[in-house]
Amino acid sequence: MMNGLKKFFDSQQRHFVDGGKYERWYPLFEAIETVFFASDEVTRKWPHTRDSLDVKRYMAMVIFMLLPALFFGMYNVGYQSRLASGFTLDVLPCFWLGFKAVMPLVIVSYAFGFGWEIVFAVVRRHTISEGVFVSAMLFPLTLPPTTPLWQAALGISFGVVIGKEIFGGTGRNFLNPALTGRAFLYFAYPVQMSGDAVWTLLSGVGETAVDAVTSATPLVVAATAKTAGAVEETLASAGFTFSSLFLGRYPASIGASSTLLCLIGAVALIIIGVASYRIIIGDILGVLAMGFLLNLIANESSMPYLSLNPFYHLVMGGAAFGIAYMTTDPVSAPDLHEARWIYGFLIGALTVLIRVFNPAFPEGIMLAILFMNVFAPLLDHIVVRMKLKKRIPNV
Amino acid sequence: MISVRVPKGFDLPVNGQPSLELEVLDPPVRVAALPERIPFVKPRLKVKIGDAVKIGSVLFEDKRNPEMVFLSPGGGEIEQINFGRRRVIREIVIRLDEEESHQSSDPLPEEALNTVPRDELIRRLMAGGMWPLIRELPFRDIANPGHRPPHLFVCLDSTEPFLPDPVIYLNGKTDLFGFGLKVLQRLAGDAVHICVSRERVDSLELPKSWVTHQYTGRYPAHDPGALLYRLKASAAENRSWFITGDNVLRIGEFCRTGVYPVSRTVVVSGSAAASRRHLVTRIGAPLVQLAGKPAGNGDTRHIAGGLFTGYITSADSYLGLFETALTLIPEGNEKESMALFKPGCGKPTFSRVFASRLTRKPLTCDGNQHGGLRACIACMHCADACPVDILPQLAYKAILAEEVEEYLEHGLLDCVECGLCSWVCPAKIDLAEALKAAKAAYFNEQAG
Repeated sequence: MMNGLKKFFDSQQRHFVDGGKYERWYPLFEAIETVFFASDEVTRKWPHTRDSLDVKRYMAMVIFMLLPALFFGMYNVGYQSRLASGFTLDVLPCFWLGFKAVMPLVIVSYAFGFGWEIVFAVVRRHTISEGVFVSAMLFPLTLPPTTPLWQAALGISFGVVIGKEIFGGTGRNFLNPALTGRAFLYFAYPVQMSGDAVWTLLSGVGETAVDAVTSATPLVVAATAKTAGAVEETLASAGFTFSSLFLGRYPASIGASSTLLCLIGAVALIIIGVASYRIIIGDILGVLAMGFLLNLIANESSMPYLSLNPFYHLVMGGAAFGIAYMTTDPVSAPDLHEARWIYGFLIGALTVLIRVFNPAFPEGIMLAILFMNVFAPLLDHIVVRMKLKKRIPNV
Repeated sequence: MISVRVPKGFDLPVNGQPSLELEVLDPPVRVAALPERIPFVKPRLKVKIGDAVKIGSVLFEDKRNPEMVFLSPGGGEIEQINFGRRRVIREIVIRLDEEESHQSSDPLPEEALNTVPRDELIRRLMAGGMWPLIRELPFRDIANPGHRPPHLFVCLDSTEPFLPDPVIYLNGKTDLFGFGLKVLQRLAGDAVHICVSRERVDSLELPKSWVTHQYTGRYPAHDPGALLYRLKASAAENRSWFITGDNVLRIGEFCRTGVYPVSRTVVVSGSAAASRRHLVTRIGAPLVQLAGKPAGNGDTRHIAGGLFTGYITSADSYLGLFETALTLIPEGNEKESMALFKPGCGKPTFSRVFASRLTRKPLTCDGNQHGGLRACIACMHCADACPVDILPQLAYKAILAEEVEEYLEHGLLDCVECGLCSWVCPAKIDLAEALKAAKAAYFNEQAG
């Protein structure tokens, strides 16, 4: 099989190299061939050997670590849908139902994301960067399961084109492309992207009443709790205990509900050195610090949300997913290690601030990340200045 | 003894390590001088094809300073002068006579050394072709005889895979080495530092009290630039000098005998080398004689110098004045199937994305680039590896933007040209080459 494939690529290569019929499509050929066969390109300049790591493997690691979140998301979508409809809750039927709902979104996301990347690679004559495969995987996982396919197509197109390609492609973008697309949908189509009804897929005629599915999300429950000091109880009575939020089997965006899987993914990415532990720990510290600060200023007359146990902020909504997979995008984060601590911390703090004080946005992580993306170059600039001041000049 | 720790860098677990055997090669038929490989020198030929030369005859001089002469490593007839692109002088090939004759000057015995004026000593070393062995940071040009160096680093060993081991080349030559050091001390006084790694300091034959600096750290902790970066307290120390241990022997021998010394210890190593060992041969020896028949079936890449900093050469070339190693690695021009889906045992890497990082087993390195060129994704591997705390990706962007002040401020001139930033880059950006080229361009601009 591999030999046949190799022959096929070797025989087709001549059409794509300089002077070939499809010379301009070389980036596409290269992108596909190198999935199966590593490049035979040798070094022309010193040093004569190079690290075995390339961007393709780097990005593939992120996609690999996202697969558990994808599969759990499929199961959870099916589970919530069958729960709402009163069907049996066996694992396989739940997964199959979720698979049928989620897979089209993933396929559309890849088709349009990759499609735009090819168009820009061919027109602007750069290679296809593997970053788009990560963006196209991240994007559908942040969507509500009820998202229409055309909106998913529009969202990923906006994310890839406006969030990335017009700045020159992966590596030159200053915003996280997947989140840019998600934010676009959020503001352009609020009806399909927010509210209580969008988080559960309706799967046909069930035995129980349909209004059972329009239960509020944990973020909304927490925001509208009536008693200070008892927000946790309010959440629990709505069915959201700390452990159920941690495990993630509740109506939410497709892949973002399970804090457990995000934690596993984050730890794995830190171990292999693909995600910056500085950003992740900074994020977590930021969330907890701001949460505790709000606890301190909470009193009888203040908003009850202020008194929420800060750890709940980490397990509710998309915080864990954003922390593990979105804030750690190295391109839209600051470059320098010191700046990454600050960046993470501010994202965490902002997330809690937006959640608690802004009634228009129940979830804060998306806007916090995009906001700090914009500030990342400034953080870098400050840290670089401080570092260069310490150097003994050599001119 | 001062301890210097170089906290960053990278030790590549590479196989093909040379043995500590020492083999003496038969005299070659031809030797060559390679002006192209002496950085910054603008050579003016003093010989033409057919000329008879002796060992120590002037082959070419530096147009920048005609007193800086480069001498013939063999006695015989100039057989070829090979030019490269833009008339750069590649090789001056000398076919050796059976009985080579020497051009000799007055020896400088130990007693005279203490009384000879410094200027006179410098003049003698220059006329004897010895001065180019002393080089000056940060550009690594030949040392400027008009300077008094704040430091003169004598680098005995190397963390680069693989250069001659001082245990081998200093064996039985302690006395000669000591004499060479005395010459250097006449030039730089107390600023002469003898540097060796902590692991090797005990196995050396030298009196331990001679060693002034012992370093610890990964590649390129041995580099004089890396050591200087850790030691320096002010910008006045940037123009330090350095010399390798084997060249100290040559300076000692030259002063003792008055004859241009042409013998040298080199290393042949690398996974594609048939036999990996130390060799005693001549300066400018033909590579084909050193390499033998390469092992393995595929194409072999010949690298003159170490694995990181050497340059690509071919088997029909010669070893230059500054190169003391020949590294042979597989070319690696094959497409590996399904590499993306394998855990990656046996893959050399700086990252932790391959299973090979679980062990420290020596691995085979080849000339494959292991990926296509992409834009920088800010993985920070280059900054994590850089031994002198440059932020290579930011310096690189400043170079592309031609922001001279900015990249100098980033410490471009501290760059030790170790090549690690290029080596670790997953986007396969030639950072090191860009940094080195920017340094050279700045040097040329300074020189006018």
